[in-house]
Amino acid sequence: MGNVDKFTLENIADGLVAAAEEMFLSWGRTSQSTIIYEVLDYAAGLTDARGNLIGQANGVTAFLGTITYSVKSVIDKFGYDGLKPGDIILTNDPYNGSGTHLCDVSAVMPIFYKDEIIAFAANKGHWNEIGGKSLGSWSTNATEIYQEGLQFPIIKVYEQGRLNEAVKDMIKANVRTPEMTLGDLYAQTASLRVAEKRILELVERYGKDSVLESIQMMMVNGEKLAKLELGRLPHGVFEAEDFIDTESNGIEDVYVRVKVTIDDENFIIDLTGSGPQVAAPINCSIYGAYSAARVIYRAIVCPHAEANEGFYKPLKLIVPEGTIFSAVRPAPVSCNWEATARITDLVAKALAPHIPDRMTAGHFLSIIGTIVGGIDDRTREPFVLCEPQAGGWGAGRDKDGESGLVAIGDGETYIMPVEVAETRYPIIVEQYSLNLASGDGKFRGGFGLMRDYRILNSSAELTTIASRYRYCPWGINGGTDGSCNKIQVFSDGKMAEKATFSNYFMKRNDLVRFISGGGGGYGDPYERDAQRVLEDVLNEYITLEKARDVYGVVIEDRDGELAINIDETNKLRQNRKQVN
Amino acid sequence: MSYRIAIDIGGTFTDYVAMNEETGELIVTKASSTPKNFADGVLEAVKKGGVALEEAAYIVHGSTIVINALTERKGARTALITTMGFRDVLEIGRANRTDLYNYYYTKPRAFVPRMHRFEVEERLNKDGEVIIPLDEEGVRKIALKCRQEQIEAVAVCLIHSYANSIHEERIKEILQEELPGVEISISSEVIKEWREYERTNTTVFNAYVKPAASKYLDALKSRMKEQGLKVEPYAMQSNGGTATFEMIKINPINMIESGPVGGVIGANEIGKILKEKNIITFDIGGTTAKTSLIHNNEIRITTDYKLENTPIYAGYPVKAPVVDIIEIGAGGGSIAWIDSVGNLKVGPESAGADPGPACYDRGGMQPTLTDANMIAGRIDPVRFLGGRFKVNIQKSYEAIKKISDYYRISVEEAARGIIRIANNNMMHALKLVSVRKGYDPRNFIMVAMGGNGAIHSPALGRELKVKKIVIPRHPAVFSAWGMLMTDSRQDFIQTRITKVCKENMADVNEIYNEMIEKAVKLYTDFGFRRQDLFVVKSADIRYIGQEHAVRAAVPSDELTEKDIDVIRHNFETLHEQYYAFKLPEAPIEFVNFSITAFGKVKKSEIKPFRISGKPEDAMRGRNIVDYDEDGKLEVPVYIREKLGTDSTIKGPAIIEEETSVTVLYPDQKLHVDDYGNLIIEEA
Repeated sequence: MGNVDKFTLENIADGLVAAAEEMFLSWGRTSQSTIIYEVLDYAAGLTDARGNLIGQANGVTAFLGTITYSVKSVIDKFGYDGLKPGDIILTNDPYNGSGTHLCDVSAVMPIFYKDEIIAFAANKGHWNEIGGKSLGSWSTNATEIYQEGLQFPIIKVYEQGRLNEAVKDMIKANVRTPEMTLGDLYAQTASLRVAEKRILELVERYGKDSVLESIQMMMVNGEKLAKLELGRLPHGVFEAEDFIDTESNGIEDVYVRVKVTIDDENFIIDLTGSGPQVAAPINCSIYGAYSAARVIYRAIVCPHAEANEGFYKPLKLIVPEGTIFSAVRPAPVSCNWEATARITDLVAKALAPHIPDRMTAGHFLSIIGTIVGGIDDRTREPFVLCEPQAGGWGAGRDKDGESGLVAIGDGETYIMPVEVAETRYPIIVEQYSLNLASGDGKFRGGFGLMRDYRILNSSAELTTIASRYRYCPWGINGGTDGSCNKIQVFSDGKMAEKATFSNYFMKRNDLVRFISGGGGGYGDPYERDAQRVLEDVLNEYITLEKARDVYGVVIEDRDGELAINIDETNKLRQNRKQVN
Repeated sequence: MSYRIAIDIGGTFTDYVAMNEETGELIVTKASSTPKNFADGVLEAVKKGGVALEEAAYIVHGSTIVINALTERKGARTALITTMGFRDVLEIGRANRTDLYNYYYTKPRAFVPRMHRFEVEERLNKDGEVIIPLDEEGVRKIALKCRQEQIEAVAVCLIHSYANSIHEERIKEILQEELPGVEISISSEVIKEWREYERTNTTVFNAYVKPAASKYLDALKSRMKEQGLKVEPYAMQSNGGTATFEMIKINPINMIESGPVGGVIGANEIGKILKEKNIITFDIGGTTAKTSLIHNNEIRITTDYKLENTPIYAGYPVKAPVVDIIEIGAGGGSIAWIDSVGNLKVGPESAGADPGPACYDRGGMQPTLTDANMIAGRIDPVRFLGGRFKVNIQKSYEAIKKISDYYRISVEEAARGIIRIANNNMMHALKLVSVRKGYDPRNFIMVAMGGNGAIHSPALGRELKVKKIVIPRHPAVFSAWGMLMTDSRQDFIQTRITKVCKENMADVNEIYNEMIEKAVKLYTDFGFRRQDLFVVKSADIRYIGQEHAVRAAVPSDELTEKDIDVIRHNFETLHEQYYAFKLPEAPIEFVNFSITAFGKVKKSEIKPFRISGKPEDAMRGRNIVDYDEDGKLEVPVYIREKLGTDSTIKGPAIIEEETSVTVLYPDQKLHVDDYGNLIIEEA
């Protein structure tokens, strides 16, 4: 015990979490890439001297585990003796700590107090461009990681505060937007120094021992909270299976499965039995799997927890090498979100019927990563519209699903306004509206969206990838499944529909329609409150016929006003009960 | 005699300040707010103030009518008309999931249900050119449906209408013909800024509150006129300026945050007389703490306001100009509690004014920050609110005992813990507006206000290392006082992406002139004289290819080629300040053009306020006060009203006044300046 009381330890703990947040804000503020400051595709965190997570700030969920493993990979490679004050290490090695894909680069800095490492600051974010075969460095048809960009195999970009010019020159020569990429490198590394400054201020003010004690207290509290919540969850073994159906590179459905075991002390996710890695960029490495496991674990155990290593202690992941969830070099991983999101969804699917207070029915899941690019006729400059799509979420035990919300792999991610898109790119958005197909139930699935781009340029290329193209979001406890994601291209009166398009040629006046799926329903549609069914009809979410046929509610027109025919409704609903 | 009067409705009290124009004397009072009919509370405050309304040379009103109608969902039955293909823009929003790990996250619900959202055939492109002409017959059909549905207000927001308002204006004409008595609000009259969801929501909010706001303002005005008011009353707007009641009725959404901005304006005025350009305002009331940063005596205005936004809830965007204020749930009534793993937390739940802190003895059993301050000896139970309000400190002990029993510590230690945690929360907000935005607090003064501002600001100002802490006179009603210090103000904004280059300067001048013309017409229509108006130009500018835009000043005369360098310099200086980088080679572009048109009103002048009296005579005794890390100390207690001009007091000390208490720390000294402000500095 240091010489400060419990309340001071809490304030120090707040200060540590605030330092991670400040690092996050600082990078967002100083970055030159829109994907960092508009899409918030980045994260920042602090670990203790052994790489255990103290606190982390995220814009999207996908980076949840990556801070810890990036730091641990640095300790493994250099050892404490190999690290000096002012060193900053870069890694984007998916197979060794960094986890996601090459575009996401981690930077790690040891924080020294006197001659001792007391913590690490680390952050990771999506660089707009890191070279490779496709502009923007992700493609839907890579077959090996070597096509996906420059790799930083845990290297020092700063040595004792001095920039390594050789690394800088390598980056400059290998990416398509060297100025922006290097600008972002500087912003990213500068924000690490902000965190260092704050940590050292805390040490100066409260003393090193109190800060270390506060870190310990956070870990202990994190574990305590997790175990408290584990005690409240249903215990046992829960299983689910599914298919990943992106059809990227002609890969057929990949079978995936999970077995989740929960008891008072453990939350074990076992992915054994899932299909092997494929020659398409939809794999993730085991570190990607760790991150995904943390996302769904946190969502189930305590969505509002201050997440630190203590909180994650009960979580264990089992997966044999070489599956789609634990791919090894040289498997491509640039669309790794298809695998990681699937891990979260498998666990959700296994548990949702048993913990309806935490989990809702299945959602559209795939982020439907989209690129529409080309050379703008007006300016002769390249344009790249790069964005995720939003879609429908599942219903819960007391609510309809949400309509038009980004997928679990995203987060504080904002869809581009139509007016901004039309100003920036040679397109016109002909509609952005609800896709009214979703799962039915006592509570309805949320609606997906339809977004239409008509090309005003002489030509453009479309690259996009979706799963849940044939296997739709799942309903629970009697609710029906939602609707599937699909992408349709209309050209000369013909329509081509697929889950994945790679550098697909489009010409002036062609139209691409992104249709995101609706979420699964919850409970028996016949139990839906008749008044809500009437409102759905009035709001033109469902038709009169659907109200009658699916929901067993008879609605009639009385002098120009729609009303429920209570007798007919009761009769219809009773009847079916008797049939059953 | 003539007076300038400000009346500010708050959650609990309606504050009243009247300033004698000749002598500068202040009359200050409060009445209970009356949510059922706010005008009653306003008139009660007028009555208590004792100044006859016919003696009012100027009257300004800060009102919560707009924000209440929104948060309580008690606005008009509203319909929305959108471009074909965009009926669901309000329901889709920006699709962000603010609560990242919560599968039960629920998006903000649209204020207009789908059955009242109508599409009309029409389309403009990004340059405002008509691609599909307006289907006027379609508009009439929608009007018919609105009639059937007994719609009370209609919002119209079409794609790219900021670039050309022709279709919106035509729709408005048709609806006025078809729907007499129904309030119509078109987006191009509310805000001409791009981003369709944000603009649509703002327009819907404006329509939604319009009937209630008009009714309230009309009723209040006629009641005040009946009581002898001779001048046109003004309303406080969220942009830090005022507008006449009649002007604000056009876009009442501009009143959404009309209360707290008074404090920011007032702090800036205090800064000016103290010759301080950089100010952090710190307003602690019963439920929340609010802070805002003023740099170079310029109050920061944003259009990024979000109603009901929290770290885990997206809230509703309102693109109305609002003074940039950060608000957190930490005030005197904030409740202390223990979370599931045994951490002590304070707020954001508040005991409010009713039942209030435990010591109010009105049935509140929860320990609050005020109870902790009471036990720490910072607030004297006997002298609370000038001794007019009886508090029961025994109840504070009982409430805090629940906390101390849990940790097996003394009640005093628990009270200290509560204060420490609350201070830490407040410090977080102060850092958010300052250090985290790249400002160094050592270049700032802190102006404390609100009933609890003076209790906590000496400790927090010390930790933040601000230059000085200023406790103005009557800190509890300071926000109302600030409202007397401002001009009338209207902001206009126009999105048009335009490269900054000499070829475009003629266009830019045209855009500005059009806006200025509009502003002048608005003001003169409402009785202002042309010579009392002045216009400030600015623009949101960015590097081409970047998103971050910075609002930079633009020279006020007709622009020429030479101004390009000035504009670029203004932009880059701010860009580097906010975002820490410059791109000297990159071309820049205008995103939004904006003007602020001020209508000068005769303002109150801050006059010196001299008091005679020596500190020894102002001392009323000694109390034991818990100074946390500095220990428990026996300190002198002074009565502020008796502290003479130029008095200097060394800390530690307590300075009591009618509605507030200042807690001076051991290493601080306090000085009473010529205006009656308490100025606290490091000793």
